[in-house]
Amino acid sequence: MSVSLQSEAIDVAAEYAQLVGDSPGAAVATFTGYVRDHSEQHAVTELELEHYPEMARKVLEDLGRSAAARFGLSNWRIVHRFGRLAVLETIVWVGAVADHRGEAISACELIMDTLKTDAPFWKREQGPAGEQWVASRESDAERRARWQSGEAQ
Amino acid sequence: MASGNVSITIKLFSALREALGESEFELALSDVSEASAQVDVAAIKKLLSQRGADWKEALNQPNLVHALNHKVVFTDALVSEGDELAFFPPMTGG
Repeated sequence: MSVSLQSEAIDVAAEYAQLVGDSPGAAVATFTGYVRDHSEQHAVTELELEHYPEMARKVLEDLGRSAAARFGLSNWRIVHRFGRLAVLETIVWVGAVADHRGEAISACELIMDTLKTDAPFWKREQGPAGEQWVASRESDAERRARWQSGEAQ
Repeated sequence: MASGNVSITIKLFSALREALGESEFELALSDVSEASAQVDVAAIKKLLSQRGADWKEALNQPNLVHALNHKVVFTDALVSEGDELAFFPPMTGG
């Protein structure tokens, strides 16, 4: 039940072992996000992630706690990177342990959908076409809203 | 305590930080209260907008996010001594 903000690569195997080792459960769901090699219009060779450390930690801790309360998680972990990231490197990892698969999977989805719009990180893409800040996407806001309207549960 | 020394911390991130060339500075609350009756986020935006056309444009983008003490707030949130107020564009993590 913790958050890590880190510049180094995410050791997914170690994170998984720790998550389950701390709290064995019947259902474990995880999500791993990697840096994409393209955006909507351009090729991407590198990503720079700026963040607001104090707020990012608070938002992610509150998010983990609220997902745990909503889905009855026995354990959860959120890892998010900042700094320079190469294509195909890990960028985010979420793990959730519950009694049943529905709760574990939904918790990961809720955390990812909310993190996208509520956690203070900003991506800057670099590629052959130059550098640019990534614009927020309406589809992310829509996915986030589903959890508040009760459409997703 | 001399009211002139009472301040808040302003932080700017991402494209906003880049456009304005500042990431963090102190703002005297007395400067805000001299200009507006209520010391809220809107009053601080108004005061900072007087720094120049670039500030005015950056702080009046329709999708600007304001976070007071690490929590997203509306512009009517009241600001007091020692608070940390951050301005930034919509978040794009994950």
